[in-house]
Amino acid sequence: MKHLNSLNAAAFAAALLAAPTLWAATAPTALGLAPTTSVAADDDEDEKEDEWHLVAGGDVYTGTGAVLRGASILIKNGLIHEIGYDLFVPEGAGETDVSGYRVYPGLIALGATSRVTTGRFAAEDPTWAIDPLSDPDEWMTSFEDEDLDLPTVDQDGFKSRYIDSYDPFSPYMTLALANGITACEQSGAAFKLRRDGIEGVVMNEDTSTNFNMRGGSARQRTRDGFAGAAKYLRDMATWERRGKPKDDEPSTRGVDTNSLRVLRNELDATFFADDRLTLLAIARLAQDYGFRPIVQGCREGWIVADELGRAGALVVLDPRERSWNDPESLYESGSSIENAAILHRSGCQIAVRTPSASIDTSGIAGRDLLSLSLQAGYAIRGGLDEEVALAAITLVPARVLGIDHRVGSIEVGKDADLLVTRGDILHYETLVDLAFVMGKIAYDKNKELYYAHLQPHQIAADLEADAAAESEDGSEADDADGDTDGDADESGDDD
Amino acid sequence: MIGHRHDDDPHRPTRTTFDEPPIMKRFTFAAATVSTLFAASALAGTNRPGDAMRALQPTLSSEPLPIQRAANEAVAPAGMVGGPGLALMSAKILTCELDGPGYVNNGVLLVKDGLVEAVGRRSEIEIPGDYEIVDVGDRWLMPGMIDLHAHVGGTFDINDMVYQANPGVRASTAVIPANPQLRRSIAAGVTTVLFIPGSGTNVGGQGVLMKTGPKTYEEAVVRNPGSLKIAQWGNPERWAIGVGKSHHGYIIRGTLARGRSYWRSWKNFESSGGPEPYVDPQWEVFRYLFDGDAQVSVHTQVHQVVMSTIDIIKREMGLDVFIDHGTFDGWKAGGEAYANGVNAIVGPRNVSMPERGLIGWTGDNPERVQGCAAGYWEMGHRMVGFNTDSPVIPQEELPLQAAIAVRHGFPDDGLQTVRGLTIVPATTIGMGDRLGSLEVGKDADVVVITGHPADPRSAVDAVYVNGERMYDASERRLW
Repeated sequence: MKHLNSLNAAAFAAALLAAPTLWAATAPTALGLAPTTSVAADDDEDEKEDEWHLVAGGDVYTGTGAVLRGASILIKNGLIHEIGYDLFVPEGAGETDVSGYRVYPGLIALGATSRVTTGRFAAEDPTWAIDPLSDPDEWMTSFEDEDLDLPTVDQDGFKSRYIDSYDPFSPYMTLALANGITACEQSGAAFKLRRDGIEGVVMNEDTSTNFNMRGGSARQRTRDGFAGAAKYLRDMATWERRGKPKDDEPSTRGVDTNSLRVLRNELDATFFADDRLTLLAIARLAQDYGFRPIVQGCREGWIVADELGRAGALVVLDPRERSWNDPESLYESGSSIENAAILHRSGCQIAVRTPSASIDTSGIAGRDLLSLSLQAGYAIRGGLDEEVALAAITLVPARVLGIDHRVGSIEVGKDADLLVTRGDILHYETLVDLAFVMGKIAYDKNKELYYAHLQPHQIAADLEADAAAESEDGSEADDADGDTDGDADESGDDD
Repeated sequence: MIGHRHDDDPHRPTRTTFDEPPIMKRFTFAAATVSTLFAASALAGTNRPGDAMRALQPTLSSEPLPIQRAANEAVAPAGMVGGPGLALMSAKILTCELDGPGYVNNGVLLVKDGLVEAVGRRSEIEIPGDYEIVDVGDRWLMPGMIDLHAHVGGTFDINDMVYQANPGVRASTAVIPANPQLRRSIAAGVTTVLFIPGSGTNVGGQGVLMKTGPKTYEEAVVRNPGSLKIAQWGNPERWAIGVGKSHHGYIIRGTLARGRSYWRSWKNFESSGGPEPYVDPQWEVFRYLFDGDAQVSVHTQVHQVVMSTIDIIKREMGLDVFIDHGTFDGWKAGGEAYANGVNAIVGPRNVSMPERGLIGWTGDNPERVQGCAAGYWEMGHRMVGFNTDSPVIPQEELPLQAAIAVRHGFPDDGLQTVRGLTIVPATTIGMGDRLGSLEVGKDADVVVITGHPADPRSAVDAVYVNGERMYDASERRLW
C-alpha cells in the first residue's frame, strides 16, 4: 500500500541522515522508481540533453525531520538527483544561490476548488455551464431531469473535463504558488501547479473512493459491502488452496467492487465524518477489515482518538473548526483546538486543510487556501509539534492523494518542488521568495505582481545600513540575509 | 428622576459592577422605558411586551444590583475586589502604553481590587508579603484585547432595516452575557467587545461596550451606549429600493443635523430653563454624542466614504468618530483621517487584491496585494487597530487580523500590532484611561500567552478580567 511506501521513505530519510553517503544510492528503490544515480541510465534519450540545476547553499528542511544546514540540492530533469555538500555538478548546470535562505518542500492543498487551476470562470458542475439568462428553459430543466447523464467524481467523464480546463496562465495559480502551494487536490485528482505547460499536471486520479457511514442504514450497507468482499477473498483463497477446481470458482456477483478494491489495497477508502459515533464506527470497520481509512472532517475525532489511532487513520482536518459542545449530552462533544495534537498522539497521521478551499479575492485573507501555512500554526497552537505540522501540509496530504512517492518532502528521486523562504515557513510573516516546480522556477516574488513590494522590515533596514556602510568605507558588506528571518518571536526574547 | 443629568463628570471611569448602570443616570425613566421597549420589541422581532420587558430587566431594576460574587465569599481570590493582592511574574510583560517602549522584561504585575496596582521589573517592584504570587515563567502577559466591531454579544437580531436611520435602536437589548461565542473570545484573549448593530442601514443604532467574561449584564457592560453605529457605502445600499453613496451622505448628514438640534434644545433648557423639550427616544443618543461621551463608529470601506466620514461627521458635526471595518482602499484617505483625529480600525477584509485576471470587487485596483493596515500606515496614520466583524470572522481570530496585516507590510518594530489590538481601540472608544494597557489604576484585564499574540501558534493559557481568573486553559483549552 502506498502509505507504507512513504513510511519506508521517511524511515530511509532518518537512516540517511546518519549516513549521508548512502543518500543517492538507496532512496529511489524504496520509492519504486528507476534509480537516477548515473547519467548512463538515460542512454535511450541521447538526443535530449539532460537539464541540471543546482539550488545551492540553503538550509534544507527536508520535511522528514532532517534539516541540512547550508546544503545543496542537485536537480536533474526536474527530479531531485542528489542532496548534500560538495556535490559534483555537471558542466552547464544552472545554479540558484539560496545561501541564507531556507528550502522547504512545496505545500499541498487538499480539497481545493477548481478556481486554482482553471481560473476565473471554472465550471465545477456542468449545470453551471448553462447560462440562466440566455437559456432559462434549459437552466430550469437541468434541475429536474434526473436522467441527465452528469459526470461525477466516481464516473469517467470528469477526467478530461479537468485537464481540458487546466489554465497554466491562471493568476490564481500564481497566487497559490506565491503562498507555497505546488500541488493541490481537486475533485479526486491531484494536480501539480505548472505554469510552463500542462504536461503531466494530473499526478493521480481516483485513488480513493467515498464510503458513507453516517446513519444506521448507511453504516449497515457499507459494512455489508466489506463483509461480502472479505467473504469473497476468503472463498478465493480457499479455492486457490484446493487447486482451483474448474467449476467451483467463487463468483463476484453481488460483491461490492469498491470494498473489494480497498481490501486488495488498490484503492483508499475515504469517509466524510465529524461526529463521535460515526468516527467510532469508521474506526471499528477499518480495524475489522484491516485497512487504513482516510477521514475527512473529523471534528470530534479527539473524543475517540484512541480508536482512530488504532485504525491508523489518515485524518484531514481544519484545526479552526468550531462547534459548541452539546450541554445536554452526557459525553464530550464539539470541536477542540487540540484535535490535531490529540489524534496525532494517538497514532493518526494529520493533514491540515483551510476553512475555505478557494482563493479569496474579496479581501478576506487568513481563511482561504493562501493561508495554508498559517493554518498549520493553529494545529501547533493546539499542541502539535512544529515538525508534524509541517508534514501536515506537505507529506501527509501527499499520502492522502497517493503521490507521496513524488512530492511532499525533499528526498532523492522525488520531484524538485521546492520553496525558498527567508524564514520559518510556519511563521505568519514569512513569504515565499522562490517556488520551484519540477526543478524550474515557477514563481519569483520579486518578479511577480503580487508580493514584490513586501520586504521584511528588518532586512530592508539591514540592507539600507549595509549600503550606507559600503558607501562609507568602500568595503563589501556581509550578506544581510544571514540570520534575520523576520521572526518576531525571537526578537523579543533577548532579555 | 428628571433633571438628574450631567451632574457627574462624564469622564469618570464608570464602575458598573457596583453602581447603577450609567444609562439610568442619564436617561429619564420615561425615555428609557419608551425607547428601550421600542428598541427591544423591534430587535426581538416580536410585539409581545413580556419579551421586551425581559430584555429590559437589567436596565429597569431599581434595586441594588448584585455585587460581584467573590465579594460575598469569606475571602475573595487574590486580585479580585476584597481579596488579597496578586503578583503575576513573567518573562515579558507587554504593557502596551500608548507612548513608551510598551514592554517590560522580567517583570512583575501587581493586581489589587481588580485593578493594576503596579507594573515593572522584578528588581523595581516590591511584592507585599500577603500577595499571592503566580509565576507564569516564560509566558508573556498582555492587556486583554479589544474588538470594536463585533456582533456576537448576544442574539443576532441587530440589523433591523426598518428606517434608513435608526439611532434609537440599541444592541444592549440583545446582549447575552458569557454566551458561547464570548467564551471563545475570552479563550482567545479578547476581553472587551463593542457589540454593535448591523450595517444594513445608514444608522444602525447604538452599540454597547461590554466585557466578554462576566456572566451578568451588570458586570459585563462597560458603557452603554458604547457608540452610535453608522454605516457608509458597502452594505446600506441594499436598503429598500437600493441607494448610493450620495444618498447615504444625505441621510447621515440629515440624521446628525436633527440630532444636533435635539441636543441643542436640551442644552438650552438646562442652561436657561424654559419649557422642557419633549423626549424622543430616537434622538436621546445624540445628547451623549454631542457631549463627547460616546463615539460614532463608522462602517467605512472605501476611500470615498472615508473622506465623507471625515467631512460630515468630524468636520461638520464635530463628533468623536472613528473608522470601523476599514477595508479595501480606504487607506488612500489615511493621511487625511489621521490629521483629523479619526482613528482607523481595520478588518476583516484586510487586503485589497489586484483585479487583473481576478474577480473585481471594488474598482480599487492596487496592482499588488495591498494590506489595508499597511496602507494606512504608509499614509502616515499612526492610530491603526484591528477588528473582526464577528461572526463574519470568528471572534477568536482578532489577533489573526494583526498577523495578516504584518504579512502584508504593516510594521511591528514598535509593537504596533499589539497596540492595535489593545490600547489603540481602547483610546479610540474613549476608554484609554481604563482599558487597553497594563498601567497603574487600569482594569486588570490580563492575558497569559505563550508568545506574540499575532502568531496563530501562540496559545492563550489564562485570562484575568477585573483581576478574576476567568479562563484557564489547563481546565479545558477552548482555543
